[in-house]
Amino acid sequence: MLNERLIENIITEALSTGGDFAEVFVEDKDTTSIKLLGGKVESTISGRDYGIGIRIINGFNSIYAYTNKTDAESLMKIASEAAKAIKENPKNIALNFMNETYNSIHNITKYPKNIGLSNKISVMREASDAAKKYSKEITQVTVGYLDEDQKILVANSEGKFVEDRRVRSRILIEAVAANSNEMQTGYFAPGAHKGFELFEEINVKEYAREAARIAVTMLNADLCPSGKFPVVIDNKFGGVIFHEACGHGLEATFIAKKNSVFADKIGEKVASDIVTAIDDGTIPNHWGSINIDDEGEKTRKNILIENGILKGYMIDKLNGRRMGMESTGSGRRQSYKYAPTSRMTNTYIAAGKSTPEEIIGNTENGIYAKYMGGGSVNPATGDFNFAVMEGYLIKKGKIDRPIRGATLIGNGPNILHKIDMVGTNLDYGQGMCGSVSGLIPANVGQPMIRVSEITVGGRKGE
Amino acid sequence: MEIRDLKEKIFEAGKEIGFEDMEINYISNKKFNCKVFDNSIDSYNISVEGGLSFRGVFNNKMGYSYTEKVDETSIELLLKKAKENAQVIENDDIEEIFPGSPVYEKVDIFSQEFAEVSIEEKMQLLINLSQKVKMLDKRVDKVLFNLYEDHESTRMIFNTKGLSKVEKGNIGIIYFSLLVKDSKDSKSSDILKVTRDFKDFNYEEMAKRVVDEAINLLGAEAVKSKEYPILLRNTAAASLLQTFIGAFSAENVQQGRSLLKNKLGEAIASHNITIIDNPHMKDKMASRTFDSEGVATKKCIVVEEGLLKTYLHNLKTAKKDGVTPTGHGYRNSYKGTLSIAPTNFFIETGDNEYDDLVASIKEGLIIIELEGLHAGANGISGDFSLAAKGYYVKNGKIEKPVNHITIAGNFYDLLKDVEAVGNDLDFAFPSESYVGSPSLLISKLAISGD
Repeated sequence: MLNERLIENIITEALSTGGDFAEVFVEDKDTTSIKLLGGKVESTISGRDYGIGIRIINGFNSIYAYTNKTDAESLMKIASEAAKAIKENPKNIALNFMNETYNSIHNITKYPKNIGLSNKISVMREASDAAKKYSKEITQVTVGYLDEDQKILVANSEGKFVEDRRVRSRILIEAVAANSNEMQTGYFAPGAHKGFELFEEINVKEYAREAARIAVTMLNADLCPSGKFPVVIDNKFGGVIFHEACGHGLEATFIAKKNSVFADKIGEKVASDIVTAIDDGTIPNHWGSINIDDEGEKTRKNILIENGILKGYMIDKLNGRRMGMESTGSGRRQSYKYAPTSRMTNTYIAAGKSTPEEIIGNTENGIYAKYMGGGSVNPATGDFNFAVMEGYLIKKGKIDRPIRGATLIGNGPNILHKIDMVGTNLDYGQGMCGSVSGLIPANVGQPMIRVSEITVGGRKGE
Repeated sequence: MEIRDLKEKIFEAGKEIGFEDMEINYISNKKFNCKVFDNSIDSYNISVEGGLSFRGVFNNKMGYSYTEKVDETSIELLLKKAKENAQVIENDDIEEIFPGSPVYEKVDIFSQEFAEVSIEEKMQLLINLSQKVKMLDKRVDKVLFNLYEDHESTRMIFNTKGLSKVEKGNIGIIYFSLLVKDSKDSKSSDILKVTRDFKDFNYEEMAKRVVDEAINLLGAEAVKSKEYPILLRNTAAASLLQTFIGAFSAENVQQGRSLLKNKLGEAIASHNITIIDNPHMKDKMASRTFDSEGVATKKCIVVEEGLLKTYLHNLKTAKKDGVTPTGHGYRNSYKGTLSIAPTNFFIETGDNEYDDLVASIKEGLIIIELEGLHAGANGISGDFSLAAKGYYVKNGKIEKPVNHITIAGNFYDLLKDVEAVGNDLDFAFPSESYVGSPSLLISKLAISGD
């Protein structure tokens, strides 16, 4: 992707002012995006992202420079400019690249670049038609299609020289349901670390009908009551609760400077006994999976919480230094425009013992969140919020009428102790996670869980 | 190779493979940012980047492509992709390459003085701010996040209809958040400042504001769930407005994705609400003299005393509605296709002092921050239910800080329920647009807490 000799020169230049570590990240990414509106192709754009990121670390300080002027002269110039931020004697680090190879655990059978636009569009059209036909109340359907083929190379002054290729595909379906004075939306966006074969393996029509069903259900839903309730959160994208409420707080990004409520808590009980949580970047072809992270480290299965006990964090190289701990293969970044930091990959609560029927049946009066929207967290306080996309009341152990406009708020560490039932039906949902190092694909997952009490914010006082 | 030379080569090659009108858009950006930790520089980032996008008309349809590898080797693929993309477009609305507006406003959004500020001064400013907050109150526990960032960017549009526009701008941002702690509680607060006048970064004033706010929030609790009159403080009101700006886009209106459809000339807000989009403010983030299609921008009254006056248009939507384009054609960098976005978009300042608004509340809440707007607010339906924090007010006086509550309502109802508007216009975190509002007194919203 970039001449090995040139990379060597860049690293040598980067270390010339006393840095103790330097890294070159090269990215070359092809992307296609298509938008279908009301069944017609509205816009499409394809392009190539290409650039180089240079990182220099000295102790705990880091310098990052990036450019897409990639001729040798420009690259040497930016390396030298970046190095100016350090003013020490060079440490004479000997460079010796060891080309690393491995077998990809993510088999791709249909690379997007070999698939014609018309095939991609016909999948979108199937989804659009299915959503539109679902009900007369569906007034608009938007379908987005994205694919990307990202090739990266990481080389550093410790001798690392390794490449990865990540192919991802996703379809985003949004249905709008409307009556004379209101509009509601439903959304589904399956994606994977796969090529076009994804759309042959999944039934996009079913996802589209589900998006339409959510919109129509919410159009005819009551306002959500306000107050504290037991809340049953279903599987798949429901895992966003763990992602927001705890996942971010377990990233070294926040732990290293003790800006997280979970700092210095390894070995302590942080959740109820039935909670085991994992971040696993190695699940074949999952949305958040990668062979190596964006610092060139192999991804792995990291146990975060086991039977309620905090076992580990997600750690990148720089924050690892501050913590005196090794990288866990969690260094990620949106693109060459970002310095890497610790991020999640596929993060989930492991399956438990209760069936979904038992969980609902044991809930006298509560809220059932069938599909979650997104949310956010303040890692320093642990306070989180997230939106329920499709919700229902639970009355006397049965799912009752639909409700809309529900937001769940609370405090991560508190909520973890209040998870009192964990289901058997573990499954995943796909999202884009935004944080310090940009927007990255992340899977969330969980089986159905019940939280004994959580504040539900709605528009109807009760 | 210079962009101007590269463009000739692209247009020549494009003509050969059958493109009619063509355009290139080049955006380059020089960026600096730094963060400090424990009084020294923690991270330091520099970048020089650029991207080129091409769009061209092929059989009456517009095809798009882009590349960050800006050299001759990219021309063939750029044109091939754009042609493929044009051939699948089915939308019949006509998207055209624009020859240029008769007049363009002159607004200086590049400050030479700002460009000459040294890196040392910028880093020192952040160090000063970090040190100052710790001196102000011993309950200041730590700095959670701090960032100084500036951009110097150049936009160029050249097309085969003769348009040739270049605009250079710069801007600087400081974002700072901290945690305060006492024996029982800890609270965070943040502050944002955006300017192209370095003297505006007054670290002492910023330090005081962010520390005061965090200290005032210590001991916050939820309040009883019920409906309260709400004073939505300026930046909270601005961030809420920002979530719903899509509703004013003619594209969303035409596509049936805006509840403002068929509402032109109607009252959509209380009479004390006037909303303006002004791209010509010298000190504001989103100022520009031409939009992403090369159309001259102009000041635009979107809502006047509650009445909806216009939607925001690009060339395509204006043509469809048979109206004059408003200069709101927007492309998200060189990677996006054409859409619509406001520039500096804000609710006009009213004449109420903030303190008078607080004093007018018998029992209610001041909301200073809304969280999770990307998830808890639906840009289409207008429904929102958001985590919030602020203060409880009784008989015109702040009694206690409040958090762990949600505030819920509908944006369209809220616009009609504005009882008074403050004189304290401020802006939300910048996105593709820069959205502002004064503090708004709302007759009632549902609060969920205890």
